[in-house]
Amino acid sequence: MSSITSEAIPQLQQRLNTAQPLKLARKTGLTLLKVGLYAGGLFAIWYLVYLLMVEVFQVWISALFPAPVDVLVSLVDHAADGSLWRAASASLARLFIGFGIALPAGILIGMGLAWGRWFRSLVGPIVLGFQALPSVCWIPLAILWFGLNERAIIFVVVMGSIFSVTIATYDSTKLIPPLLLKAASNMGVKGLAVFSRVVLPASLPAIISGARQGWSFAWRSLLGGELLTAGIGLGNLLNQGRDLTDMALVMAVMLVIIALGLLFDQLVITRFEAYIRQRYGLVSRSL
Amino acid sequence: MSTTELQVRTSQPAATPGIPRLSLEGISKTFRSGNTRMTALDNINLEVTPGEFVCLVGPSGCGKSTILNLVAGLEEPDSGKILINGQPVTGPHPDRLLLFQEPALFPWLDVIGNIEFGLKSVGINGKERRERALEYLAKVHLHKFAKFRVHQLSGGMRQRVAIARALAINPQVLLMDEPFSALDAQTRDILHTELQQLWTETGKTILFVTHNVREAVTLGDRIVLFTYRPGRIKAEFSTAHLPRPRHLEGQAQTKLVREIMGELQGEVQLAVASEYGDARLRVDL
Ligand SMILES: Nc1ncnc2c1ncn2[C@@H]1O[C@H](COP(=O)(O)OP(=O)(O)O)[C@@H](O)[C@H]1O
Ligand SMILES: [Mg+2]
Repeated sequence: MSSITSEAIPQLQQRLNTAQPLKLARKTGLTLLKVGLYAGGLFAIWYLVYLLMVEVFQVWISALFPAPVDVLVSLVDHAADGSLWRAASASLARLFIGFGIALPAGILIGMGLAWGRWFRSLVGPIVLGFQALPSVCWIPLAILWFGLNERAIIFVVVMGSIFSVTIATYDSTKLIPPLLLKAASNMGVKGLAVFSRVVLPASLPAIISGARQGWSFAWRSLLGGELLTAGIGLGNLLNQGRDLTDMALVMAVMLVIIALGLLFDQLVITRFEAYIRQRYGLVSRSL
Repeated sequence: MSTTELQVRTSQPAATPGIPRLSLEGISKTFRSGNTRMTALDNINLEVTPGEFVCLVGPSGCGKSTILNLVAGLEEPDSGKILINGQPVTGPHPDRLLLFQEPALFPWLDVIGNIEFGLKSVGINGKERRERALEYLAKVHLHKFAKFRVHQLSGGMRQRVAIARALAINPQVLLMDEPFSALDAQTRDILHTELQQLWTETGKTILFVTHNVREAVTLGDRIVLFTYRPGRIKAEFSTAHLPRPRHLEGQAQTKLVREIMGELQGEVQLAVASEYGDARLRVDL
């Protein structure tokens, strides 16, 4: 009866699978080429502007508008003497600690909002209010509470990203098909198990999108915090460039910040999101 | 074999000879929306013996789904009693499983994971869970698809997984709410055959809702016809004289199908008149 399809489909899948690695390699190569061309184009425009404004017409000075090469040299210099690594790793450590707290806590609060009406009416307004507060506004409070240190910045990172994760999580729980909840309840799933076995996995794709937003908020909050406090970090390195009127350093650090933010977003979050969406059957083959 | 074991674990009341598997005694249900009250079910009395396959037919909106929701314990009747093996129903319990038009599978689990989800819910764990899931997957001829994701299956295959998930839990009553109505005609024919096989094999008691009289006559031992608003039992028909397995287009059924359709016609006419607010709109079955 159904044996015809039963035989055919696994074979078809196998054929699809063997075709994957080759296709993937070609796709990665193409992507790299595109990214290279794109970045090369941007640098070429930058250099052209530099040539015109600084060298030819001499309306700007190179100390304030450096050539791409100067920035590259500054980048290599600060990488070579270790200061860039120290700053980047210190910043990333704060970021991962802060985001590492904000992500699970945000998901937990979001699930709490979905769980009980009383929790929602108590905590919901606070979440909405704090989400409306730009994260740098937490800095004075953080400094008074924790002092000019690590913990103050991490606190700002947490406050800057937790509520966007919370809201994304709560919103996603509202989109769960009621039929799935009905089926689970029918099979005897109740209480906390409804959350761990149905609500959380069902909202995972949307939670990941929320995590991406949370990540970008965390990154901004971190730099805001670092610019306004002391201690080793990328924000501090930016301040150092300003104090020394070293525009090449300022721009080099800005490039590093862009690169790190994008890298994590593209290599970790986007990939994980694509993987999950594919597993859940949320993407069509043509996309 | 493990049937009795499961019954102990999920504390299902055991079947007692002479007591119906399922009985509805004077069930009424009224829905209120704002100030308007609508009596969906009025004094429904129905007994289903163990292993019986009962089909409920009636026009859309007569309360068929409501009956299944009540038996499943997802809603409460305003009056009357629902008994499973003589014990009153108090809420949802895996001894009464509901299957919907949509298979309601979990997209984050693969096929075998979906079947194990149900087993885990009734406290079956470890090796036994996997084995039992595979056993029931084989019953619906999908053992080769154990590791597939739900979205890789056709609509008919998904519904078969849902059936396997329910049967694996070994419910006292299987409640099916138009489970095949979203499928194409060919797939539906195959599933009619498969469901009859499964039913013979497992001896399950099935309460099956459909608005398709042919489907009801093909599958049911007994067909219960409902009136439109309020939903009452209008007539019952036995198919004991029709040999199994039956096919949707079987000639032997035609006479009974005609008879039931004749009774249903008036109710459908009432439903259409009420829904469209126009008594002149004719529908011929
Ligand atoms: N939760 C509800 N609230 C209000 N009215 C409902 C609800 N569920 C069902 N009804 C009404 O009860 C009647 C019977 O519904 P239902 O059992 O779904 O009919 P059927 O499955 O036979 O088509 C319908 O008129 C429907 O509008
Ligand atoms: Mg219905």
